[in-house]
Amino acid sequence: MAYFLELVINGALTGLMYSLAALGFVLIYKSAGVPNLAQGAIVMLAGYVVWLIASFGIPVYLAIVLGAVVMFGFGLLTERILLRRMVGQPIIMIVMLTLGLEIFLRGFGPGMLGAAPKSLDLGIGLAPIIIGDIFINRAYLVGGTVAVLLIGASLLFFRTRLGTKLRAVSDDHVSSWAVGISVERAIGISWGLAGIAAVAAGTLWGSVQGVDWTLSTLLFPAVAVVILGGIDSIWGVLVGGLLVGILGSVIPGYLDSIVGGGTRDVVTSLIILLTMMIRPYGIFGREDIERI
Amino acid sequence: MRKFKRGLLAVGLLAGVAFSGVAHAQDNEPIKFGLLQDFTAVYTFVSGEYNQGQQDYLTLINEEGGVDGHMVEAIVRDTGNEPQRGIEAYNRAREEGAILVDFLSTPVSRALVDRVLSDEIVMITALHGRGDASAGETFPYIFPMMATYWSQATVLAQYIKDNEGGLEGKKIALVHIDSPFGREPVPVLEDLAEKEGFELSTFPYPSPGNEQSAVWSEVRRFRPDHVMIWGAGGGQPVSVREAIRNGIPADQIYSVVWLAETDVENVGADVMTGVKRFEAVSTGTDNPILERIQETVIDADLGAGEADNVGTTYYNIGVATMAVAVEAARLALETEGAPLTGPKLKAGFEMIKDFNAERLMPPVTITAADHQGGGAGRVSQWNGEAWEPVGEWGAAYQDVVQMEIDAGAKAFAEGN
Repeated sequence: MAYFLELVINGALTGLMYSLAALGFVLIYKSAGVPNLAQGAIVMLAGYVVWLIASFGIPVYLAIVLGAVVMFGFGLLTERILLRRMVGQPIIMIVMLTLGLEIFLRGFGPGMLGAAPKSLDLGIGLAPIIIGDIFINRAYLVGGTVAVLLIGASLLFFRTRLGTKLRAVSDDHVSSWAVGISVERAIGISWGLAGIAAVAAGTLWGSVQGVDWTLSTLLFPAVAVVILGGIDSIWGVLVGGLLVGILGSVIPGYLDSIVGGGTRDVVTSLIILLTMMIRPYGIFGREDIERI
Repeated sequence: MRKFKRGLLAVGLLAGVAFSGVAHAQDNEPIKFGLLQDFTAVYTFVSGEYNQGQQDYLTLINEEGGVDGHMVEAIVRDTGNEPQRGIEAYNRAREEGAILVDFLSTPVSRALVDRVLSDEIVMITALHGRGDASAGETFPYIFPMMATYWSQATVLAQYIKDNEGGLEGKKIALVHIDSPFGREPVPVLEDLAEKEGFELSTFPYPSPGNEQSAVWSEVRRFRPDHVMIWGAGGGQPVSVREAIRNGIPADQIYSVVWLAETDVENVGADVMTGVKRFEAVSTGTDNPILERIQETVIDADLGAGEADNVGTTYYNIGVATMAVAVEAARLALETEGAPLTGPKLKAGFEMIKDFNAERLMPPVTITAADHQGGGAGRVSQWNGEAWEPVGEWGAAYQDVVQMEIDAGAKAFAEGN
């Protein structure tokens, strides 16, 4: 029983850390309607940015704050330079653009700053928190807590005046324009906020594994989270993250030793496939009904 | 008639000058090595320092006058770990005259096995590629030339046997990345478990290994006496951290060769203290070759990268690979003469005997049958400041390793 609980708890915390990568994905989709396939690479870039700032001798927590400012600016610039030119283009073109951005960033970050993994020490102790026979990973506990706080902040943000404008933009671009909302600015802000979420994900995952190109592979579990939770739902990020994390921990925990390993990626893939087949809009996603 | 004779003489003289020029050019023709590696994808954790070590060593050789007067030219290109790009880079390098290629990528080197065999181009596969390529008769142009993953596993097992109270009755956990590379030591360790009477359990984690918590909960339940970690890049520091977090003493963690200074930095030098690893090449700058590189290449601002990398684990491995390759070229020129070709270089490799690159690596003897070079290595331990050798250079259980080599080579020969 202790083993099962340990798998559930550590899985839930890991899933919440996946949610950090997924949050940026949802923020952009909610306002711009664009599935951003570059979000994994943006997480990687954010990890590099925080590491780079800290490497100048700046305390790491201040480096995180500065990194958030830089990545917010990066998000704004991405929207201004790349996305705005694509207004009116078919969605597939925009998706391909984000894919191109992903490939560019994955080469650019390691190419400019060196390919060897970089150390990002947040000062989180290595010793686990032990409750009975259960070992809880301290780094994941911190990561999970930050994820819950950021998701909560995102939910509150969408209740503010600016957040309401973003919701309006996500509902209908043309109507938003009609009532005087700057759609371009709203979309730019959502890209900027996604950059801030990427700083949290890149820093926390970077502290666990080091900062290198493999941070960009967080896109795969992040996509599973948003598909399961609902691609336009902040609540979905929370619940999807928990489910993806727990299933990806418990099932391999029992099956890997029987089948010889490799079941976690299978579980993640099955989550994507089954959700698309049974509930394409995810648990909390909005089902758009259009008149034909 | 007199005019005709003069003309003939002139033509003869011109031809003589031209031919002597060709001979002279051939005498000093550069030797070209294709270092076609992955600088942008999976092997980035090693390729920068490794390639820098290779280039710096070749610069040293050139600054010291070359190999018997021949300069050695490195053709460096990125393959991104993609077989298609590797094939393209190989074709270009071959057209440019490369007689040796090093891909430092298992997928790329595996994809090019048949090509290099038919083109008669030497391919070195130090610490990557297929272990069964040690069978020189089946893979005449492929040279692993350092301990294969099978030999690394046996050296680690031998160390445990000699220094940790034997293997019998022990429980050993192999925690590995779920890929062909990660699974590579499994058959050899299974054979050893039967032979030496220890219990082996394997725990795969998905690539790239940035999240392993569930796997290590399971490892803890197994209560191993010793743990071997078999991964690379970002997965390695995660493995060490998770092992320690789950109560496994650092000095009972044994790693494949891919654990280096960057991993120490990621895990923390104090946390890493006690962890052991397989070592194929000495680390540090306390070596005549490294001292000459510092003096002749780095201090003269001819280095291929950051000076701080000189003496690191992967830099020195790169130096050692080129030291062996240059020694093969020297032997080939000595016995076969210029210009060097793939077959001549192959013959040079197969003449290498007890070569240790001025103590940088264990003595390597390569023969027509054994392209691994003996499979020797040693165990080193992180002492808080540096990787310190805790054993002597040597090979172990090569009878068990040979069985795997023979089985793989036989399957390859039957498939071709």
